[in-house]
Amino acid sequence: MLAGSRRAVGDQMIFVGSARHGYGPRLLALISYVLPAVFIIAPLASFLAYSFFRMENGQIVHDLSLGNYRRFFADAIFVPVLWQTCLLCLSVAALATLIGYPVAFLLASLKGRRRHFLLLMVLVPLLMSYIIKIYAIRSILGGNGFLNRFMLWTGVIEQPLTVFVFNLNAVLLTLTVLLIPFAILPIFLALERIPRSLIEASVDLGASSLQTFVRIILPLSLPGVITAATFVFVLAIGDFLTPQMVGGQSGFTFGRIVFSQFGTAFNWPFGAALSAILAIVVISVIALGNRVGQRST
Amino acid sequence: MPLSMNRRTALGMALAAPVILRSSRAFAAKELRVMAWQGYADDDWVKEFQDQTGATANVVFIGTDDEIWAKIKGSEGKDFDVFAVNTAQLQRYIDGGLTTPHDLAKIPNQKNVLPRFQDLSKVKGIMRDGKAHAVPFCFDSIGIIYDKDKVNPPPDSFESFWDPKYKGKILAYDNGEHNFSFTALTMGIEDPFHLNEEQMGKIKEKLIALKGNVLSFYTTPDEALQLYKSNDVALIWANYGQQQVKAMKDAGANIEYVNPKEGALAWLDTWAMTSGVQDPDLAAAWVNFLLQKKIGEQLSQRTGFGNTVVETGSAGANDKLVWLDFVEDPTKRSDMWNEIKAQP
Repeated sequence: MLAGSRRAVGDQMIFVGSARHGYGPRLLALISYVLPAVFIIAPLASFLAYSFFRMENGQIVHDLSLGNYRRFFADAIFVPVLWQTCLLCLSVAALATLIGYPVAFLLASLKGRRRHFLLLMVLVPLLMSYIIKIYAIRSILGGNGFLNRFMLWTGVIEQPLTVFVFNLNAVLLTLTVLLIPFAILPIFLALERIPRSLIEASVDLGASSLQTFVRIILPLSLPGVITAATFVFVLAIGDFLTPQMVGGQSGFTFGRIVFSQFGTAFNWPFGAALSAILAIVVISVIALGNRVGQRST
Repeated sequence: MPLSMNRRTALGMALAAPVILRSSRAFAAKELRVMAWQGYADDDWVKEFQDQTGATANVVFIGTDDEIWAKIKGSEGKDFDVFAVNTAQLQRYIDGGLTTPHDLAKIPNQKNVLPRFQDLSKVKGIMRDGKAHAVPFCFDSIGIIYDKDKVNPPPDSFESFWDPKYKGKILAYDNGEHNFSFTALTMGIEDPFHLNEEQMGKIKEKLIALKGNVLSFYTTPDEALQLYKSNDVALIWANYGQQQVKAMKDAGANIEYVNPKEGALAWLDTWAMTSGVQDPDLAAAWVNFLLQKKIGEQLSQRTGFGNTVVETGSAGANDKLVWLDFVEDPTKRSDMWNEIKAQP
C-alpha cells in the first residue's frame, strides 16, 4: 500500500517534469554542469597545474617540470609518512565500520519514534563544530583528563595512563569517534533496503538468526559497509587538524606535511604536488571500493 | 662611537629647543596619517593627541605584515606619514627608500626610555648609515613559562627543555623557523638567524632529541592553555610571551615567566616615517606623544606587551634579548622541521 502510493507520487513528478517544455530544464541542466565545473573541477585543475611549477627565492616560477613529484619519491620522509598515514586511516575505517555496524543494525530494527530518536542521537554530533569535538575528546583523553581521573578513582590504575594521549593511538581513537556517524548512515541505508520478505523466507525455511544474518543480511548490506569504509577512509586521510591537536610529537601525518607547505614552508607548488598524490590515493580507494561494492551485489 | 656622539649632540639640541611652546596646538588643521596595529593607537590616546596638537590623526589598523607592505609600497609611501613595523620587516622599507629617518631632537621622550633602548645604534635594525630609521615602541620576548609547583628552582636556561626530568611534561611550539633559532641560541651560536649546513645538521639532531622530551607541539595560546589544564605540564616554550602568561594566570595557573640566560628571541615593533611624510614634525610629535610613561603603562596593561618606557614582565633590566630577524632560508627550515617531526 505504502509502496504503491510512493510510486504514484513518482509518476506524477515525471509527468510534471516532462510537461514543462522550454528553457527551464535546459537551464537547470546547464547549472548542474557549470557549478561543479567552476567550483570543483577548475580549482582542482589549477591545483594540478601548480604542482608542476616550482619555487625560486620565495617566488613561484611558472615553468613546467616534474621536479616536485621527483622530490616526493627521492626524499626519505614522504613515502613512509604517506604509507603510515594510509595504514592509520585504514584502521580508522575498519574500527568505525565495526563499531558502526551494530548501531546501524539496531537503528534498522527499531520502529517509529525510537528509531527517530536514535537516528537523531547519531546525527547530533555532525551539527557540532569539528574543533569543539576535538577539544572535548582531548580533555577526556588527557593526562589529567576525565578518563584517567575516572580510572584512578575506581582504582583500575595507580598512575595516569599516557597510552591514549598525544600519540598515534589518540589520533586513531579521535578520528574514529569523529567519523563514526559517516559509517553508520550508509550501513543503515543498506540494511533498510533489504526486503523483509527475504529475511522472513529465511526464517520460514528454518534458518537460525545467526544463519540469516551471515547468509542473508550481511552479504546484502556489504555494499553499504564498503561505502561506509570508503567514506571514513577518505575523510580521515584528508584531516590535518586531528593529528595536530591530539597526536602530540609523534602524531605526524601526510596531511600535516601538505598543510605546512602552504603555511610555514611557503612552497605552494610542492604542496600542490603532495595534494595531487593524496588525491590519487583517494580516487584509487574510491574506485576500489566501487569495484568491490559492485561485485558483492 | 661617532654615532652616539651625534645622538648626544642631537639630544642636547632637543633640550634647548622650545618644545613646550610648540606643543600648544602648533599643528592646527593639519592631518597625520597613521598606520598601526590594533592596540598601538587607542581612541583615548588619539583624542588626547589631537587635543594637544590641534591636528587630526587618521588611524588605519592593519592585520598582517604583508598588508603594511602592500599599502606602503603600493603608494610608494605617499598614503601615510607614520607606520608601525617590526625591526625585521623594517629593513625592506629602508632598502626600498620608503622611510624618512627620524630627527631624534624632535622626539625628546626617547631619552627617557629603558636603558636597552637608549642607544639606538645598539638596537639591531634601527640605524642605517648613521640615521635612525625608526623608534622602538613595543616588544615581547619568547621565554619560558614554568609551573612553580613542578619546577624548582626556576629554570634559567633553555637546556631545561632537554632535561629528562621533564620528559612528557613540555609544550613546545610547532614552528621550524623559531625552533631552529632558539636551539641555535641554546647551543651558543652567535647568529641564530643565519645558520650554515653544519650548524643546521647539529641543530636538527638536537631538535630530534627535544621531540622525545616533548608532550606536544602547540600552535595557539588557547591550545597551550587547554593542554596545560588537562595534562601534567611543567615547562612551556612561550611563543606568545606575556599574552600567554596573562591568559594562564587568569585561568588560575600557578606559573611564572623567565627569559633564559642564552637570550630569548624577541620581536620589536617601531614607529617609522614614510618617504612621503607630509609633516615630519607632526609625525615626530606623534611618536614623542606615545613614548610617555602613562601611555607605555597603558599599552602594557591593555595588550600585555612590553613597552619601551616602563619596565614590564616581558624582560628584566638584565635579560638578554635577541631581536628577531629574517632567517637564511625559511623553506629549508620548514622542510627540516617536517623531517624532524616525521622521525619515528
